[in-house]
Amino acid sequence: MSTAAVFSLSSCDEYLDRAPLSEVTPDAFLNSEADLSAFTINAYSFPTHGGFSVGIFGNDNHTDNQATANAASRWIPGEYRVVQSGGVWDFGSIRNMNYYLETVLPKWKSNDISGNSTNIEHYIGEGYFLRAYEYFNKLQALGDFPILKRTLTDNREALVEASKRRPRNEVARFILSDLDSAILLMNNSPVGGTNRLTQNAAFLLKSRVALYEGTWLTYHKGTAHVPGGPGWPGAGRVDNFSIDIDQEIDFFLTEAMHAAEQVADQIPLTPNTLDNGYDSSENPYFSMYASKSLSGYPEVLLWRAYDPSLGLNHNVNHYINRNGGNTGYTRGFVDNFLMANGLPIYARGSGYSGDDDIADVKEGRDSRLQLFMKAPGELRLNDVSNPDGSPVEEGTPDITGLLETRYVTGYAVKKGLSYLFDESEGNVGSTASIVFRAAEAYLNYIEASYLKEGSLNGKASAYWRAIRERAGVNPDFMVSVTATDMAIEAKNDFGAYSAGLVLSDPILYNIRRERRSEFIAEGMRMNDLKRWRALDQLKETPYVVEGFKLWGPMQEWYKDEETGASLLVTPEDGGTPNVSSPTESLYLRPYRIVLSSTNLARDGYKWAYAHYLEPIAIQHFLITAQDGSGDAASSVIYQNPGWSLQANSGAVE
Amino acid sequence: MKSKLLSILAFAVLTCFSMVAVAQESRNVSGQVLDEGGEPIPGVNVLLVGTSIGTVTDLDGFYQLSAVPPGATLSFSFIGFQTQETTIGNRPEINIILLEDVGLLNEVVVVGFGEQKKANLTGAVTTVDSRVLESRPVQNVGQMLQGVVPGLNLQTTGLGGELNQNLSFNIRGAGTIGAGSNSAPLVLIDGMDGNMNALNPQDIESITVLKDAAAASVYGSRAAFGVILITTKSGKQGTAKVNYSNNFRFSKPMGLPSMMDSHTFAHYYNEAAINAGRSAVFSDETLQRILQYQRGEIDYSTVPDNNGDRWMYYGGSNGNTDWFKEQYKSVSFSQDHNLSVNGGNENSKYFLSANYLDQGGLTRHGGDNFNRYSLAGKIDLKLNEKLSFNYNTRFVREYFTKSSHLNDLFYHNVARRWPTVGVYDPNGHYTDPSEIAQLRDGGKQENYTDFYYIQGQLTYTPVENWNIYASGNYRVTNWNNSANTLPAYAYDVTGNPYPLSVYYSAPGHSAVSEYNQKENFFTTNIYSDYSFDINQDHQFKVMAGFNSELNKYRNINAGRTGLITRDVIALNTATSNFTNSGAYNHWATAGFFGRVNYNYKEKYLVEVNSRYDGSSRFLADQRWNMFNSFSLGWNVANEGFWHVDQVQMLKLRGSYGELGNQNTASWYPFYLSQPFSVNAGAWLLNGLRPNIAGAPGIVSELMTWERVQSYNVGLDLAVLDNRMVINFDYFNRKTLDMVGPAEEQPVILGTAVPNVNNANLQSYGFELEVSWRDHIGDFNYDIRGVLSDDQMKVTKYPNATGNLGQGQSQWYSGRKSGEIWGYHTIEIARTQAEMDAHLENVNQSQMGSNWKAGDIMYADINGDGTVNGGSNTLSDPGDLSIIGNSTPRFRFGLDLSGQYKSFDFRVFFQGVGKRDYMPNGPYFWGAGGQNQWQAAGFDEHMDFFRDVNSPMVQAGVATVNLDGYFPRPSFDDGKNNYTQTRYLQNAAYLRLKNVQIGYSLPQTFMSKLNIGSARVYVSGENLLTFSKLSKIFDPESVGLGGWNDGKTYPFSAVYSAGLNINF
Repeated sequence: MSTAAVFSLSSCDEYLDRAPLSEVTPDAFLNSEADLSAFTINAYSFPTHGGFSVGIFGNDNHTDNQATANAASRWIPGEYRVVQSGGVWDFGSIRNMNYYLETVLPKWKSNDISGNSTNIEHYIGEGYFLRAYEYFNKLQALGDFPILKRTLTDNREALVEASKRRPRNEVARFILSDLDSAILLMNNSPVGGTNRLTQNAAFLLKSRVALYEGTWLTYHKGTAHVPGGPGWPGAGRVDNFSIDIDQEIDFFLTEAMHAAEQVADQIPLTPNTLDNGYDSSENPYFSMYASKSLSGYPEVLLWRAYDPSLGLNHNVNHYINRNGGNTGYTRGFVDNFLMANGLPIYARGSGYSGDDDIADVKEGRDSRLQLFMKAPGELRLNDVSNPDGSPVEEGTPDITGLLETRYVTGYAVKKGLSYLFDESEGNVGSTASIVFRAAEAYLNYIEASYLKEGSLNGKASAYWRAIRERAGVNPDFMVSVTATDMAIEAKNDFGAYSAGLVLSDPILYNIRRERRSEFIAEGMRMNDLKRWRALDQLKETPYVVEGFKLWGPMQEWYKDEETGASLLVTPEDGGTPNVSSPTESLYLRPYRIVLSSTNLARDGYKWAYAHYLEPIAIQHFLITAQDGSGDAASSVIYQNPGWSLQANSGAVE
Repeated sequence: MKSKLLSILAFAVLTCFSMVAVAQESRNVSGQVLDEGGEPIPGVNVLLVGTSIGTVTDLDGFYQLSAVPPGATLSFSFIGFQTQETTIGNRPEINIILLEDVGLLNEVVVVGFGEQKKANLTGAVTTVDSRVLESRPVQNVGQMLQGVVPGLNLQTTGLGGELNQNLSFNIRGAGTIGAGSNSAPLVLIDGMDGNMNALNPQDIESITVLKDAAAASVYGSRAAFGVILITTKSGKQGTAKVNYSNNFRFSKPMGLPSMMDSHTFAHYYNEAAINAGRSAVFSDETLQRILQYQRGEIDYSTVPDNNGDRWMYYGGSNGNTDWFKEQYKSVSFSQDHNLSVNGGNENSKYFLSANYLDQGGLTRHGGDNFNRYSLAGKIDLKLNEKLSFNYNTRFVREYFTKSSHLNDLFYHNVARRWPTVGVYDPNGHYTDPSEIAQLRDGGKQENYTDFYYIQGQLTYTPVENWNIYASGNYRVTNWNNSANTLPAYAYDVTGNPYPLSVYYSAPGHSAVSEYNQKENFFTTNIYSDYSFDINQDHQFKVMAGFNSELNKYRNINAGRTGLITRDVIALNTATSNFTNSGAYNHWATAGFFGRVNYNYKEKYLVEVNSRYDGSSRFLADQRWNMFNSFSLGWNVANEGFWHVDQVQMLKLRGSYGELGNQNTASWYPFYLSQPFSVNAGAWLLNGLRPNIAGAPGIVSELMTWERVQSYNVGLDLAVLDNRMVINFDYFNRKTLDMVGPAEEQPVILGTAVPNVNNANLQSYGFELEVSWRDHIGDFNYDIRGVLSDDQMKVTKYPNATGNLGQGQSQWYSGRKSGEIWGYHTIEIARTQAEMDAHLENVNQSQMGSNWKAGDIMYADINGDGTVNGGSNTLSDPGDLSIIGNSTPRFRFGLDLSGQYKSFDFRVFFQGVGKRDYMPNGPYFWGAGGQNQWQAAGFDEHMDFFRDVNSPMVQAGVATVNLDGYFPRPSFDDGKNNYTQTRYLQNAAYLRLKNVQIGYSLPQTFMSKLNIGSARVYVSGENLLTFSKLSKIFDPESVGLGGWNDGKTYPFSAVYSAGLNINF
């Protein structure tokens, strides 16, 4: 009996050996070009269209450019709070790319990856690019951050040690070095074309990162937001620290210029046919934002394609085409656009037609405003017509309608509009989403070179003219510069400020204006304002968002068809208010409709110094605290300036 | 539908038939009933077999029966005595001597690899017979067992009442925290792993539940958390007996919330928006239209939008719809039919059965349905004096169909559909938000699950009392699921259709997918037992054997989009986006086992089990493990010194055992797999979805068996001539080296920390079963009550910082399962002054801002002047504390049954004695703190705080309500919605699960129709519920899945009638 048992035991062992039958183990992977491609494409996590919204065209909401029906907590100090756990202090994507690089690099060096060597190098370059991109997100959100180049094991001590933050300038240098590696390895014609990252995209990102850090250090110098600055929380807690801040600034601005010109010299801007905005369907500069494929637009360096039949769609035109999409440009933004002749609207002889009607506002202006802002009566669809045969045109803006579809300010976003009926249906949007476009390189160069050199060099002037020409604005930017009145601009534009002071240099101001006008509804605004330190003034003087001039002739648009009674209800009317009062402003004030104290944004946008960076969640301090102390303050991690170590508390300063 | 009609008709005819009374032939029988000592026994039931005709003996044991048909059989039964039957023949007088029934004590119970006299059991075992499964108008065995077996916890789960949703179950509480390992009990049907819910309940003879390690350990590593042994019916010697039974039922949805009418709703939403500092949701113009529609002044539920081409919905429409009433039927119909035949002779016996169940769903549009077809056959052959063979097959098909659009998202949507949206647009089409078009036209899903069991067992008995068994069991399970999506449309103002999204797919999209999975499960058991005694006093039984299990499955999945026509739906008729995938998986176990039973004069009982077990889930050096258990019993009442006549049994039991749990969530916990998916990327390349891959996580090499130690002490008591039987067990079960996530690490690790064996868990509680059987004259009755309790406590857990985690749900050493952390509510501030006075003393700014009358005043329980969650750690929880526990405690069942002449009845209550529940989401909070698009407005939500400043009060649509239950509603502002004492619910309940009344038709009439006996009955399910829980929720919907609390398929109350005939 016992011998039988022993016998069956050994045969049993074989019977019990059961390895997975349909899964591969990691050592069988990342050995071929195709494996590398599958890995990096999965790590593309750029902001693109999606969900029930206007897509990336809403990413400038909650700035002085664009507003949505309810204000964000970042404008209400005390309401933007430290969270208990989670947040941006997260390393999943970074570990993903570190795993990729540390696995692939040795195999590549020993020639163990099968496939086309150009493509293999390109995909390795993408690994560097994607790590740099993740790191840039961290740099913008948190500033100082741990620099991590490999995956870690679950060893507590090592993890705590690795959690130590490094000064932000080092982080930025690390990003630039990754991008240099990417630039070395990547090419400009990968499989997939501009649906895939390219060397040009790496140059552009490099210029963006370098400009970001160079200007951050410039404008935040002398604050706790800069390594070595007074009150910098890293003081005494960062090993081997030294900084020569001016040298750093110079380094980053130089890098920004060099990277930017690589793109700007090579890539032309998409032409603008300068139509009047009624029907821009044949204008390449307009259709660049609303076409299914962007492979024919060299200016676009990276874009994402959609195909509803593959389950990938968005709703951009369900909103942009059909309604206001719960967004709208602010009056400050609209007024900030120049006239086509290059003059600000307030300048003598500007030819500005006033703002009694949206059509007047657009008349004679910068083509970008004419193209990318709606006015009633403009064509909406060109493949269907009304039952009576008339064209389908934009109606008057519904400023009181359903929140999701509301024209919040009356000035509606038109960027991304497709004239095709099918695109305007729900869940079938298929227009491409732009991630990087070359015009940014032009603007990055202009700003970096002007800051570094103190004047506009020939290249910067040429780039600027090219941008203005394309925008249908007088290419002679000095016309604008000399006509600029900073006191007036300061009312319309946060970008007129740095460190709480109005800029004294009108050239620098007009460089910033150009950026604001070119990136209309592209989600670049908030990061620009932060790096320019352009929000300090709100601590003293809140900013009340305004929209179009409702209480001029346009109030006639809001009457009951049958009775002729006004549909507008102001707070003092009694009943249910749906617009702000004409007694305080002729312009619609979306955050002044409900005036009860429950409306925390009723006094306008305010700012707290801490809000330039995000807080780190409390749990991260506790888990890295000195053994068992449970004391967040003893952690190797330090909190960002102005934020406390108490969950759910608002900014301290 | 046609077949349903026919069935109703057939039922009606049969029922009518039975009402016809027929004159009877007269014949008298009489006699006396005595016990073995010659004493007359009063109160003995004398019954004509197969009928309800009978009488009871008088004080002197005499009885007399008239109107007895010749050739009939009489049955004599009395509590404490063995039942006797005798044929009357021509005898006018029949005297009977009844033998004392030691039957209750001699009753044999199925245990692991054998049987055991109940009196000699030493482990924690509960047995129920098929009686509890009779005439219950429910879908499956799980539902029938809820509340019946103490310690077997059956709990609603998933999406609640969905027709393919079975109850989840465990024995004595969850044995793991579910982080990498499971604690499911092992279910064996005739000795083979099976699905108890995919079984015809009428095929079941008995169910034994093995609860402690000593009882279960012979089954090894799959039985660490108990075993449910189901024995199916076998053929009985005698002439063929045919049984037919049916049941016709009507189900009504239970516990559906009632939506506010549209006008109240619109003002309620305006209130929540204005309280949040926003502009109103409904304009004065729309409010006016809503009123006009309600008054019948206008007949259109909406008007065109600004562009003029589409209808406005939600804030712009003016309908008045209660979406729960619209989407669910008020009643649905189901039926159940059973037919069985059994019989045999000395050498061969057979049992054959068939079952058809047609369960109708409650959804009104599109519909859902569940069918079960079952066919079983069992043959027992005596091949010769020493050899016998049993052959057992069973085929069960489950068919489930529903609309493709009917899913978790739909249940989520029903609650947040605004009443202002109409069912029909002004042109008479279903409205876009109603989702009715998708439910009706958007395609459907059909799931076939086929179970095929074949079992054969050879028994060789070389000498008396020595048996050798060899069995092979094969189970094949096939899942064939198909689903399709078809375009569904809404219509614009001019009547042009436009496509809608069905579930998550793009509008206008059509698709078909097929999923097939096949599981082959093979087990062998070879074992032998031998019983002997020494001087008759020392009784031994030894058993040893070998058991192996091999499970393999494979699946294949295919899909296409772009159907050529909606009339022919198949992969072959779809044209694009071909996708496919497939996988193989397997696991195996093997084990050697042995058991020794010994008793001395049935007074002292000993049982020792041992099992040496291997599992494919562990690497070779960790694979094999030895598990031992033993149990002891002492039958005190069998002792010579015991002279208490009232007590027939008093047995003390104790057991200890250790088992390994190999039930890891992953079948290959040691293999790190490479995340890789084909054509799954969301970033299109050249117009196609690319392949994608990511970094693998971390796997611990230290993982091994979880050890489950179980202690049990028990007491069995039978008193008053066995009328009353009491069983009590106390258990303490420790899951040691439990698999859990490793210690929390700084997130710079960048991935989840791997699971290792590093936690301990303890489950403890008790079970009590009390039954009482007696009669009052002709009235026989039976009362059985069960009560059980289990709690689970983590005794060791690596959580160095004492982090309470997200929602304070993180484990730590000493945490009891179900603990609810929350704040203490002082109350709702009735005035601004009251709130201001509170804020003078207590800073609530970390809980939110803008504190007004109608908001919550939280208690500063740690006295630091500020209300907050501290560091969210055990050492610094701020003002958070444990305010309740969501574990269902003191589960009970109370079963009352009785019989009086031709009538019988059963009343069965089931419930939970203690449970706390903190509901979340819009079902509970309405609009308060919810996003406008997720919020809801039910009648109960109107009980919110209103003072004169309330927009609804000011609009004159509601009165001041300073005593409101809910705080003032405010969109998106969750400051009043923290888990807190004021809103903690008492989810204990008592539910009248089943009531049935049966009537057995007169024998004389039936015999003319050649019918042996017939019973008609009515039976109802879930008829009454007693609970203090908010009326928005059904107590059994607590803690289910879905998007938020309550967002599940409703449960139903059932009214049914049926018939049971024996031929």
